[in-house]
Amino acid sequence: MRRFLVGMASMSLLLGGCATTSEVNQSRLDLIKERNELVCGVSGKIPGFSFLESDGRYQGIDVDICKAFAAAFVGNPDKVQYRPLTAAERFTAVRTGEVDLLSRNTTVNLSRDSSGGNGLTFAPVIFHDGQGLMVKRNSRINNINGLARKSICVGSGTTTEQNINDAFEAISLPYTPIKYQDLDQVIQGYSQGRCAAMTSDRSQLAAARSSFASPKDHIILEDVLSKEPLAPASLGGDQKLSDAMRWVIYSLISAEEQGITKDNIDEKLKMAKENSQLKPLRRFLGVEGDLGEKLGLDNDFVVKVIRATGNYGEIYDRHLGPDSDVPIPRSLNEIYTKGGVHISPPFN
Amino acid sequence: MNKKHNLFPYIRRIAFSNSLDTCITLFILLAVFLLSTITIKWLLFGADWAVVIQNYPLYAFGLFPADQRWRPALWLLLLISLTIITLVGPRWRWLRKLLPITWIGVIPLGIVLLSGGLGLLPVASRYWGGVTLTIFLTTCSSLLAFPLGIILAIGRQSDLPLIKFFSSIYIEALRAVPLIAILFFGQLLIPLFFPIGVEINRVIRAVLAFTLFVSAYVAEDIRGGFQSIPKSQEEAAKALGLSKLQITQFVILPQALIIALPALTNQAIGLLQNTSLMAILGLVELLGISRSILANPLFIGRYMEVYVWLAGIYWLICTVMALLASHLEQKVTIEKLTIKN
Amino acid sequence: MRIKRYRGLFIQVIVSTLFISIVALFINNLSVNLLRAGLGLNFSWLFRSAGFALAEHPLPYSPSSSYAWALFMGWLNSLKVISSSLLIATLIGFLVGFASTGTNTLLRILSKLYVTLIRQTPLLLQLMFWYFVGFLSIQGEIFSPIKGMLSLSNQGIILSGINLSPEFSSLLVGLGIFTAAYISEVVRGGINSVPIGQWEAFRSLGLSENDGLYKIIMPQALPAILPGLTSQYLNLAKNSTLAIAVGYADIYAIGDTVITQTGRAIEGFLLLLLSFLLLNLIISNLMELLNKYILTYKQR
Repeated sequence: MRRFLVGMASMSLLLGGCATTSEVNQSRLDLIKERNELVCGVSGKIPGFSFLESDGRYQGIDVDICKAFAAAFVGNPDKVQYRPLTAAERFTAVRTGEVDLLSRNTTVNLSRDSSGGNGLTFAPVIFHDGQGLMVKRNSRINNINGLARKSICVGSGTTTEQNINDAFEAISLPYTPIKYQDLDQVIQGYSQGRCAAMTSDRSQLAAARSSFASPKDHIILEDVLSKEPLAPASLGGDQKLSDAMRWVIYSLISAEEQGITKDNIDEKLKMAKENSQLKPLRRFLGVEGDLGEKLGLDNDFVVKVIRATGNYGEIYDRHLGPDSDVPIPRSLNEIYTKGGVHISPPFN
Repeated sequence: MNKKHNLFPYIRRIAFSNSLDTCITLFILLAVFLLSTITIKWLLFGADWAVVIQNYPLYAFGLFPADQRWRPALWLLLLISLTIITLVGPRWRWLRKLLPITWIGVIPLGIVLLSGGLGLLPVASRYWGGVTLTIFLTTCSSLLAFPLGIILAIGRQSDLPLIKFFSSIYIEALRAVPLIAILFFGQLLIPLFFPIGVEINRVIRAVLAFTLFVSAYVAEDIRGGFQSIPKSQEEAAKALGLSKLQITQFVILPQALIIALPALTNQAIGLLQNTSLMAILGLVELLGISRSILANPLFIGRYMEVYVWLAGIYWLICTVMALLASHLEQKVTIEKLTIKN
Repeated sequence: MRIKRYRGLFIQVIVSTLFISIVALFINNLSVNLLRAGLGLNFSWLFRSAGFALAEHPLPYSPSSSYAWALFMGWLNSLKVISSSLLIATLIGFLVGFASTGTNTLLRILSKLYVTLIRQTPLLLQLMFWYFVGFLSIQGEIFSPIKGMLSLSNQGIILSGINLSPEFSSLLVGLGIFTAAYISEVVRGGINSVPIGQWEAFRSLGLSENDGLYKIIMPQALPAILPGLTSQYLNLAKNSTLAIAVGYADIYAIGDTVITQTGRAIEGFLLLLLSFLLLNLIISNLMELLNKYILTYKQR
């Protein structure tokens, strides 16, 4: 009898573990809040974007974006679980729910964004990049035609891999791709002479070059093989989460447009509270209206985000600015008032 | 025989007994000499050990919060001292009797120390890494795989056709598949088999995948033990009126385990080495954390130093495990002999 | 007696119900999750064009070839590296096995050192070492004793006109040396299983060490060596999947790329399992044939 009871109990436990179709409609955002923690897929191996410091913390633009999301979703930028993913496993990880979202140098394109393709949804672009090629100066190669029949080091499972393929097909020349799992291996393969060239996003090429013993011996070719708009991504069909992500990114850009920084955010908040005529600022900082609520976030999510990471320009300068380890000129990545392409729709 | 007196003829006998032997010996001596000078020169002058020295805590504890590092350190220290005590063999009988219990107790203690609770600050498993995680994965997986392997081995020997069928299928299927495929399954596909919202911690999933894999091998090793026990023992036990379960439990299994012991310890050592595969799948155990360190712009290109350092650590741990294993084997054989007498 | 039989039946029914319900539960969850992601199980994507190039392909391949063809290339690449490193591992393994049972003490110590060093460090680390430190750090061309016959550089091995890539070469060397350490132990065990009297017998007959080993000892040791050898070969096949760490396009690496590009994780994984099964069957059947051949040879 007792055995029977135990059997029944375990059976019902098993049935309790059954998924039902009603769960199909639950948003990942609710899950994140319930868990009180964000699981963020990062690379962990790309200087300037996300890499591991000797003190054991992750650093970079992608990491700060994760922090901004965590500040908005659960109110604490430190409640993030960083999950290093290789390029090849990142989409599988989102699809299976292994991570909540990706902030991992991911290029937006049609097949990744569409329901018939990888089925992801992308947040606004956080970094406009382009794919380039780096060769040794003494190789005397000065354009892509010079690389015919040569081997080229490339990261596998990336758009980089497809772009280089397309570029060589367009000029109908053969080449040999040497594929590695991680960028550090691509760099190593190239610097030790396995390949005549390495290809990656130009920001990463610049970062790699700055880490070489003599950066002057390497040149980045003028050919830009592709546009590489990099953006955070989440699983498609989850509007609640993707909307929240979209507007967190816009809040970073909008804050830069309005000159709101980590240092003056409290001052601005005080100003908004005291002056009821500053309607746009009051709405932006959640003093008035219910913009945050509409997204399923707190009304003052912008304040939390800026307090945690500063605005977009501050994040950029911290990791890619002139004083950082990986200086990359802002050019296209300025806000639109300064000749760049970053612009935020109004917070209305 | 006075060895010192006969040293020269002794050397001559072992190394220069004929012309071919002489050639081989001289060649080896030359090669060893050249190789060791190059190695020593590189170790002392060529290598830049900053990549190792500046990152000690990362290699040892991964991303464990700095103010809590004493916890994994304590656990590792405990393991080391237990190993030393076991190998030296304490004089006091009470300590000797306490040892097996301590060895079993050290694993739950490790879980508590690492994950927190019981008054300790909770630390999520994503912060575990380095040697700590490598050893944690190994100990937990082997502890779980051992009983599962025994059950599978018994299942495969069973008279009940269905149970025999299921056990055989399981064992054969898992032995046919490479470990990395199972780990890939465990890391990326398992979530597809659970309802949304049920999230199993990543480290636990790795432990599960390793357990499923190793248990199939353990089962085969134990089955090998079963088969080497003469049928007459089972018949004798039956004649004494023991039930089938009792025969397995008290007669067959203990002997089979003793016979399978060397193979089982090899599995444990293999398991420790195989935890390095998690580096490909994104856990920051010893090899994984090293790959992350190598991606830091400060240390790019210092492959040689890191690999040599890692090889040293793995070699040390595996050798210690092998020593422990041979110690255990000796002890078991001695006990068996004393019982017989 | 009857009660006992019923009890057996009862246990079997319980176990199989439990087993089947767990499997059914997982399949239910899987289908719900696939539904959620908007995916059904289908294989038509296999015939779409892959769109990625491969560095090594034994048969003609271009990025416009289908995913199925790309996977087949990966399988052939796996077969290539497995069969060639199997030869190397066998050769080195037997040599070291002989050395560790031979008369030269220095050689015995050296082979013991080799076996412990290789067996006590992870294969993955060894492969990375061979690739990044072993092959890629070679400056210029070294070791070309016969010009044009054999040369080593960071572009790989050139062996009498055949060009082996560094990825393939390091996998070949790494797998070969790793498996050889295990094979040498199997060989040593086999040789030691031959009674010592046999050695004394051929020595007293005036046979040389080499002749005795070859004609007297090995025929007796082989039946004891073969099963161990088979399992080492199977291990080698499984270990070859670590190719992904050194950038060699084996079946697992290509399967990984295909899964990423198509998002077809379950189907891709099933195909991977199938291909491993095929490799395993080939190896174990060949070894069985060898076993039979040796047994009949011995009886003659």
